[in-house]
Amino acid sequence: MFLTRLLKPTVTASAHCDLPCGVYDPEQARIEAESCYKIIEKYNASNDEQFKTRAIVIKEKQAELAKHHIDVLWSDYFKPEHVQKYPEITELCWKAAKQCSKVKGSLDLGEARTLLDMIDKIADVWTKAGGPQATRVQKAVAARA
Amino acid sequence: MEPTLRAGDWIVVSQLPRGPKVGEIVLVRDPRDPNRLMLKRVAAVADGSCTVLGDRPEESTDSRTFGPVPLPNVLGRAVFRYGPIGRIGWLWRAPFVT
Repeated sequence: MFLTRLLKPTVTASAHCDLPCGVYDPEQARIEAESCYKIIEKYNASNDEQFKTRAIVIKEKQAELAKHHIDVLWSDYFKPEHVQKYPEITELCWKAAKQCSKVKGSLDLGEARTLLDMIDKIADVWTKAGGPQATRVQKAVAARA
Repeated sequence: MEPTLRAGDWIVVSQLPRGPKVGEIVLVRDPRDPNRLMLKRVAAVADGSCTVLGDRPEESTDSRTFGPVPLPNVLGRAVFRYGPIGRIGWLWRAPFVT
């Protein structure tokens, strides 16, 4: 046990290979970002210190999840041909991921709004790049009715 | 980097006294986020930077996405896997297939 602990690597490197399910949708990131937005609203409206502490903890978690989903879209969904056709996507994802960090550490509703707008811009590119057809499983007609 | 490397492998990385060579697995800083380290295989070295690719190109995020990696961001070469026990072995340079 001691030996295992001693030998265990202290630095982690990603080989970044995965077996992707192929389902990518910016909506995942948006829902987490919406959570952050609503939590900040509730935080500002509350006088309950315990609730406010919990709100901060949960918001930080949701912001991290939003960042994760943006990162997955960027590194796994968007391919060189997308970047060639929509070169703005690299900066959009990069800035949105950074905005997630801002929202994580902030209680400013404006920052959360900015993040939502950034994710919507990523979603526009995702839609133009054929994302809905390429990555989502379509609903059965009966389920839609 | 599967099947060569798998999640949870314990790898010894040695510093490179020389530039990286094609076919070697190198530890590089992700150009998009210098705090993130990655292990990738060298596909080409030119003009002070190194093109790296995953062993499973169809599922890898590599230089095709983030471009070539500047040589100062190539931190070392993966030489030996010391865990898990069943997979212990040298990570010799493999002939690169393009």
